[in-house]
Amino acid sequence: MKDIKQFVSTASGTIEQDHNQDGIDRRGFLKCMAWAGSGALCVVEAGVLKSTALGAQLGSMKKAGASHQLSFVQISDSHMGFSKPANPDVVATLKAAVTKINALPDPPDFILHTGDITHLSTPEQFDTVEQILKSTNKEVFFVPGEHDVLNDDGAMFRDRYGRNSKGAGWYSFNQNGIHFIGLVNVMNLKAGGLGNLGTEQLSWLEDDLRSVKHSTPIVVFAHIPLWTVYPQWGWGTDDGALALSYLKKFGSVTVLNGHIHQTMQKVEGKVTFHTACSTAFPQPAPGQAEGPGPMKVPADQLRKVLGITDVNYLQRRRALALVDSSLE
Amino acid sequence: MLRLHSLLVAILGLTLILAVALRPSSATGQTAAPQAIEIKVDNFTFSPAVVTVPENSTVTWTNKDDVPHVIASTDGVFRSKGLDTDDHYSFQFTKPGTYTYYCSIHPKMTGKIVVP
Repeated sequence: MKDIKQFVSTASGTIEQDHNQDGIDRRGFLKCMAWAGSGALCVVEAGVLKSTALGAQLGSMKKAGASHQLSFVQISDSHMGFSKPANPDVVATLKAAVTKINALPDPPDFILHTGDITHLSTPEQFDTVEQILKSTNKEVFFVPGEHDVLNDDGAMFRDRYGRNSKGAGWYSFNQNGIHFIGLVNVMNLKAGGLGNLGTEQLSWLEDDLRSVKHSTPIVVFAHIPLWTVYPQWGWGTDDGALALSYLKKFGSVTVLNGHIHQTMQKVEGKVTFHTACSTAFPQPAPGQAEGPGPMKVPADQLRKVLGITDVNYLQRRRALALVDSSLE
Repeated sequence: MLRLHSLLVAILGLTLILAVALRPSSATGQTAAPQAIEIKVDNFTFSPAVVTVPENSTVTWTNKDDVPHVIASTDGVFRSKGLDTDDHYSFQFTKPGTYTYYCSIHPKMTGKIVVP
């Protein structure tokens, strides 16, 4: 695995970097700002993390002539029904995320939800999220998390959100010159293993990509990270590397995931991996606790470690700009 | 003669009854009685992770985590619903064997029940 740089943004604002001294030109390859109240902005240009600035910089970039073609918001891990001390009111924080989305200066065209919509897969929990997200007046594209397929192998999820999907709920669509792919990696998990896509989905993916031009920017979204974040806690996908091998020929690939309840970013060649915060509760950084469960923070700190990810496609610059912002 | 015959039949019958009555106890004489075993699901681990139990024992898993878990045997012998915090799931092991199981939504969590 050459050409890897990893950026880990943490709530405390520190940045860890893993530089490979492999002689590859890294001109313009700067750093990703960590959480700083108004959030972080990482600009992915032609697949390469190009420059960095805090929120307001996006506006100045647009003024500089980068025509905005499409913007969308990623939200994740709303865990409707969770009521433990890490967040006794997940309804309020999801509503705060909606308020944040509705207040964006550049309204998104749609929303991606990368799973764990509910905590326990009940119809009431799905209904509540649907009601809250309605007030965005935006179309929402979903992929399931493991909490959404608890008792029925995802039948209820697909009944609600998978009308145009294949198999366990995977699908693709084109929007403003970008090819979006929603994958399901929370089904048929093997004992001792990580997330799983399975052979049926992988062959569908290979087939789906056949008709897509290599210059078309690709956005892949799935619940569990497709890259290996921390296998000890199950934070990765067993056959994720195979899926990514089909994406190598494309000039710009952005992989958006949830599951780990914290932002993390890695750039590998022309692929940018990014995970979003939860709107419900934070989880510890890899290995920083005994297990990956909900992390209790002081009540006045909670909304600082929850958030949304705003993604803007700047067509003339062939760039996807990812802006993470906390709920407070 | 008739009396003696009746007595013999009675003795034979009693012997048979005794033999039948005693058989199970002699067959299971070296096996412990079924037990009720508790397994705690806490911090994304099963404890104890490996348990050996006599035939017909009932194992009960209790979820002590803030997130749900699903107890599922790897070969489909048993599978719980999603267990929320403090929910229980019980299964009686009526046949000898080695039963490996895991949490079907956190597959890094694995355990084993051995019934000799």
